[in-house]
Amino acid sequence: MSSITRKEFKFKVVLLGEGCVGKSSLVLRFVENKFSTRHLSTIQASFQNKTVQVDDCKAELHIWDTAGQEKYHALGPIYYRGSNGVLLVFDITEQRSFKKVKNWVLEIKTCLGKTAEILIVGNKIDLDDERQVSRQEAESYAESEGALYMETSAQENRGISEAFTALTEKMIQHSRTATAEAPLSNRSIRLIDEEPLEESRRKKCC
Amino acid sequence: MSDKHGEEDESKKAKMHLKANDLLCVNGCGFYGTPQWENRCSKCWRAHQNELKKSQDFAKNKSLLSFDQFQERRKSTTESKSRGIKNLFKTSPIPESGTSSPTSTSPSSTPTRRRDLSPDSLEARKQFSDFLVANLSTAMAQEIARSVKNAVNKISEMRLNSEDMSDLVISYYQYLGDRIGVHSYFNSPDCKVKVEDVMDQVEKYISTCCYAMFFCASHDEEVADMSLQDRIRSLHWVTAGFLETKLVFKKQNVRDKVDEAITELIEINAKKSAFEKLDCLTRSCKAIFEALKESESSTSADEFLPTLIYILFRGNPPLIQSNVKFISRFAVPARLMSGEAAYFFTNLSCALEFARNMNHESLQMEKTEFEAYTSGHMAPPLSVLNTACNQAMYVLEGTIETIVTVAKKAEDLLKNLTGVDKKSDDDLEKMLILIKETVDIFPTDEYIQMKESIFAEEQETADLLVSLSRQSSESGRGTLSTSADNTQPSTPQPQLDPSFESPLAAAIVQKEATDSN
Repeated sequence: MSSITRKEFKFKVVLLGEGCVGKSSLVLRFVENKFSTRHLSTIQASFQNKTVQVDDCKAELHIWDTAGQEKYHALGPIYYRGSNGVLLVFDITEQRSFKKVKNWVLEIKTCLGKTAEILIVGNKIDLDDERQVSRQEAESYAESEGALYMETSAQENRGISEAFTALTEKMIQHSRTATAEAPLSNRSIRLIDEEPLEESRRKKCC
Repeated sequence: MSDKHGEEDESKKAKMHLKANDLLCVNGCGFYGTPQWENRCSKCWRAHQNELKKSQDFAKNKSLLSFDQFQERRKSTTESKSRGIKNLFKTSPIPESGTSSPTSTSPSSTPTRRRDLSPDSLEARKQFSDFLVANLSTAMAQEIARSVKNAVNKISEMRLNSEDMSDLVISYYQYLGDRIGVHSYFNSPDCKVKVEDVMDQVEKYISTCCYAMFFCASHDEEVADMSLQDRIRSLHWVTAGFLETKLVFKKQNVRDKVDEAITELIEINAKKSAFEKLDCLTRSCKAIFEALKESESSTSADEFLPTLIYILFRGNPPLIQSNVKFISRFAVPARLMSGEAAYFFTNLSCALEFARNMNHESLQMEKTEFEAYTSGHMAPPLSVLNTACNQAMYVLEGTIETIVTVAKKAEDLLKNLTGVDKKSDDDLEKMLILIKETVDIFPTDEYIQMKESIFAEEQETADLLVSLSRQSSESGRGTLSTSADNTQPSTPQPQLDPSFESPLAAAIVQKEATDSN
């Protein structure tokens, strides 16, 4: 239907990851192309909009940052409720942050089912000599969970726009297949909706 | 009938009617029963009636209050829901069958009662129609106004609980949005507004109307809110330090922004429509961001959420949970899914969730310690952690700092002053010397005249002195030798040299010389 030729999309993307893995830096780099070690920004880093052009489609990304501290872990579901994509960030120099990613994947799968696309991001590849999580390990894990895997460096601006573009592509695909399947249920609702329209018109005549 | 009998009669009668047990009250109270009262005595019958009414009431209330039942009902056939939606759009007064839909809360078919719109709703209605008239074509405005008016009438007519009404309202938003969205009018160049703007206004009006009926309507919600407020109050000791916020309370700006954020958060409860409530929340959150910026902290979610929780604890806004529920029920769903307000709303939900579930683990402390602080048996020790937000301390500290700097400045000033004083004295002296030198080198006419007149006067005096001394020496000449005469003129002669500055001094010297003779 018309949804296949749709050119404009709106997606909610949630950033999850342990504290200090570089979630905020990643967004700042992506949205403003800025990096600072203390990341003092003139803009607020926790909520950003950015439009991404993929082929001939325009997608508006609403990127939501989340608090990564352990004590707020339980609040995750409130954040990622209704999101189209989830960006799971971990620090390649810290095994623990990768483990947290695995927890999150499980959680998201139970909470959102297959409604959201997952992109796992290994950040800080500029610190390659301190690497604790190998690329193969992360890649094979992502594949087993049906997620994408990308490596980035917010400091050196490597792989970031690629990562967001890849996620956007997947989300567009997803929403196209979803809307292609959806019309049936939509139509039934619309049937109900059309009646009152006629009724109100009829009333006008009277 | 027999309930007026005394105690002694009772035993007598019981014995008398031993064989006719059927006649006694079924409760076995000893009095007689009557068939039309289900074989109860009048007292027992009355009690039974009361019980029955109570249980009916309870069942009625339960259907209103219990959350599980909401869920069940929501899951029940979509048919009933669709009928409900239809009802929302119908213009004619609801037929009797409409009220007896399963979603209706009143079990008996009570006649539908229309509530008059509250003054707020009337105000909202006026604003809404003004907006429509100002921004849309007449036909369009009329169509929307009629549709919304019908919906509002339905809302006040239908006796539904908030959950079901929320479903209806949200599907109505969806329906109206779709319906006006397909109009080509919104794509035409004359159109100044977007579909979203119209929906904002619709939401504003409808949610204001819903406010009177559905905000904190059930007793349960109020109780839940009160208990949450109590809980937050008991957590008063959880200060900015415990929550690891990065706020720098030393700065006046930061403190001001924190106060602003708290005020706005409390203000949410004062607003009627979901739109305005969200607006307050947005302003509150923006103030938080500014406070973080002033504190030179980053503004990522890692800092934002703890700060919001801190603000929530400090402000302890009234009925916040009901407000959050109200917004989630009656706001346009799109507003709660994307955009700035949605993000802040989600964060507020998170903060509330955190407050509800907060325990010793979330603050990384011992359970006993946490409980002692919460119950007020123990006060948290004064440490950087909790004094980090102790504003009074910081104000004091700031004041002391200011005083110290002022004192230092005063000292410096004094030093500078003495220095300036001394320098001016020195300069004056130097200047005088300089003037004298200059005048000596380049004398003015006046100076020369003055010098000359002084010189002349002194010369006169000197001459007088000289003649005086001569007279005295002449009178003594007879006894004195003439040798003095020879030396006398020779002594003043070199002294009268023009290089000799003062003729007076010369005369004195001369007189001394003659005296010694």
